[in-house]
Amino acid sequence: MKPLTATVFVVDDDDAVRSSLRLLLKSVGLPVSLHASGQDFLASYDPTQPGCLVLDIRMPGMSGLELQRHLSLRGAIIPIVFITGHGDVPMAVEAMQYGAFDFLQKPFRDQDLIDRVQRAFEKDAATRRELGEIGRIQARIASLTAREREVLALVTSGKANKVVAAELKVSPRTVEIHRARVMEKMETQSLAQLVRMVMEVERHR
Amino acid sequence: MARPHIPSFEFQALLDAAVDAVILIDHHGVMEVFNHSAELLFGYTAGETVGRNVSMLMTGRDRHHHDGYLERYIRTGVAHIIGVGRDVLARRKDGHEFPAFLSVGRIAGSEPPRFVGFIQDMTLRHQALAAVQRERDRASHYLEAAQTILVALDLGHCVTLINRTGSEVLGHDERSLRGRDWLEAVVVPAQRAQVALELRALVESEQHRPLHSEYSVLTHGGLERLIAWRCVVLEGVEGGPIGVLCSGDDVTETRRAEFDARESRERMMHVSRLATMGEMATGISHELNQPLTAIANYAQAGTRLLAQAEPDLGDVREALQQIAAQALRAGEIIRRLRSLVKNRVTECEQSSINDVIEELGPIVRADARANDVRVVLDLAPDLPNVSVDRIQIQQVLLNLLRNSIDALAAIPAGQREIVVRSSRNDVGDIAVVVIDTGPGVAPELLERLFMPFVTSRPEGTGLGLAISRTIVEAHKGRLDYEPRAGSGARFVITLPSEPEPHA
Repeated sequence: MKPLTATVFVVDDDDAVRSSLRLLLKSVGLPVSLHASGQDFLASYDPTQPGCLVLDIRMPGMSGLELQRHLSLRGAIIPIVFITGHGDVPMAVEAMQYGAFDFLQKPFRDQDLIDRVQRAFEKDAATRRELGEIGRIQARIASLTAREREVLALVTSGKANKVVAAELKVSPRTVEIHRARVMEKMETQSLAQLVRMVMEVERHR
Repeated sequence: MARPHIPSFEFQALLDAAVDAVILIDHHGVMEVFNHSAELLFGYTAGETVGRNVSMLMTGRDRHHHDGYLERYIRTGVAHIIGVGRDVLARRKDGHEFPAFLSVGRIAGSEPPRFVGFIQDMTLRHQALAAVQRERDRASHYLEAAQTILVALDLGHCVTLINRTGSEVLGHDERSLRGRDWLEAVVVPAQRAQVALELRALVESEQHRPLHSEYSVLTHGGLERLIAWRCVVLEGVEGGPIGVLCSGDDVTETRRAEFDARESRERMMHVSRLATMGEMATGISHELNQPLTAIANYAQAGTRLLAQAEPDLGDVREALQQIAAQALRAGEIIRRLRSLVKNRVTECEQSSINDVIEELGPIVRADARANDVRVVLDLAPDLPNVSVDRIQIQQVLLNLLRNSIDALAAIPAGQREIVVRSSRNDVGDIAVVVIDTGPGVAPELLERLFMPFVTSRPEGTGLGLAISRTIVEAHKGRLDYEPRAGSGARFVITLPSEPEPHA
C-alpha cells in the first residue's frame, strides 16, 4: 500500500467556489480533490485516505448535512469543515451536533480556512494513530487462548493471582504461567500498560 | 206671495257685485232676496227660490230644524249663529252638497225680524286644507319612517324636532330631548366646541352649502356612536336662518369595519412585505455569497502565489480573470433582484379598472380621513376591461395613494386632495391617473424616482415605486410620473385594454 498524504476533499456545487478553493489550497501546497456533489464524493471516497472534508452545507440534490449522515453511517472518521452562508447558522449548529469538526461562514479569510484544515488534518492523524494502535492491541488479544483471555480480564480488573486461581479453580502457579504468556503476547512488561490497552479497546468497542 | 221689499236699483247692483252669495229671509225663513252669486253657487235662479223656505238650501239636521232655530231665536232672543258664523253643509239644486261658511245678521230694526245670510263656498279652501294636512301627515310619516336621524335645532342649538330613528339611536325619549341644548345633551364633550363652530359657520355662511361632518354622540345608555351628519340651514318666512336641520347616519359599525379592514390590510401588507424582503434577502445573500467567496479565495490565492519565490504566473492570471468574472456574476445577481418580483405567479383576470379602484375605497378613505385628505374618484363610465392581477394593481394604487397621503401632510388640512381618475387615452389604452395637491416630487429626485432604495422619506424603504413600476410593466403597462404645472404630483398608470369582442 502506497504511503498516503493528507488531502483536502472539497465538495461544493458552485464551480467558481470549488476551483477558487483549489487554487487557494494549492498556493499553500495542500493536495486537493474536488467534487461537485455528495454522490460524486461518495463514489470515489476511500476511507483509508487521510485528510479532511471541506463541505458546502447548502447544495442541490444531496445537501452537506445528508452527506455527513452517509459518512457517519459508513463509520467514516474524516473530519468535516462545513462552509455555510450567513443564513445557515441553524444548519451549522445541527452539523456540529452531528460531530462536524468546525464550520466557516462564506466568504472567509484564507488563513481561517488553512488553520482549520491543518487542525482537521491533525485530528484525522490522531484518530488514525489511535485506531491503528487499537487495531494492533485487538490483534494481540485475538492471539490469546480462551484461558489466557479469562486471565487477562481478571488480572486487569485488579484481582490478585490467588483470587484468580480460586475463581478459575486452578493452582496459583498455573495462573502465573498464563499471566506470563499474556504479557508476552500483549508485548508489555507492566500491568498498568496492560490495563490501559484493555481500556482503550473497551472505549472503541 | 208678494215680494214685500223690492230692492232698489243700487241695492240690486250691490248685491249682484257681491262675491258672496247673499240671501234675505223673513222670520219664517222665506227667502226674499237671492243674489247673482247665490244663483251661481246654488244653481237655482232667484225666481226658483224667492218666496220659498231657505231650508231647501240646507242638508241633514239643519234642513229639518231651521224653522225651529228661527222660532227659538224669536221666542228667546238668544242668538246661536248671528254675529258668529259657522261652517255648514249646503245643498245645490243638483243635490250636490258642499262645505260653506255661513254668517247671519239680523236686519236692524226689522220687526218681525228679517235676516241676511252671506254664504261662502269653502270647497276650495277645504281641499287646500286637506292637501296641507295630507302633506303634513306625509312629511311626518317620512320623518318617522326615515332610517336616518333627523333633528332640527334652533339657533341656540335647542332641539325643536327629532324623529323616531333619532330617539331610538340616542335612547332618549323624543319629548325629553325637545327643547334641550343638543350639544349639552347629546354631543360628546370633546367635540362640542367643534360642532358649535361648524354650526355657526354653516348658519353664517353666505351660500348655506350643506355641512358634512362626523361627530360622536352619547346615548342615554352612555354608549358612544359615531354619526355622519349632513346639516342644512332652515330659513324662516322672512328668509333669515332660524335654525338647522341635520340628518345623521350611524356609521359606528361601518367606520369600525373600515378601520379593521385597514388594520388587517396593513398588517397583511406589512407581514407580506417583511416576508418577501426576508425571502429575497436570504436568497440574494446566498446567491451573492458564492461569487464573493470565490473572489475572496482567488484574491487570497493570488497574493500567496505572488509571495512565492517563483510564482506560477499562469495561476495568478487565472485568479485575476476569475475575480473579474465573479464580480460580473455578482452584478448579474443584483440585476435579477428586480425581476424576482416580476417572476411571482400572477393571476390575471378580466377586470373593470373602476371596480379595482373602487374596491380600495374603504381602506383608502379610512386612511385619508385620518389624515384630513379628501379623495375624489373620477371614473369614466363604459371603459373596456383590462386583464390584470387585481391584488397587484391594487398594491400599486395603494402605494401611490399612500405616497400622496404622506406628501399631503406638508400642506394645510383644508387643501389636501387626491383625485383618482380613470379614462381611455387616445390610443385606446386605459389610464389611471393619481393626482395630489401636495408639494410634488423634488426635481433632484425625478431622474432616480423609480430606482430601488431611492426615497424622500426617512422611514421609507425606497422600494415602493420600483416594485410598482415592475408590477405595471409585468402587465405590459407603464407607470410614469408627470410633473404638474404649479405643484402636486401626478402618476399615470397605463394598461393595455382588452380588444373588443368581434373586433
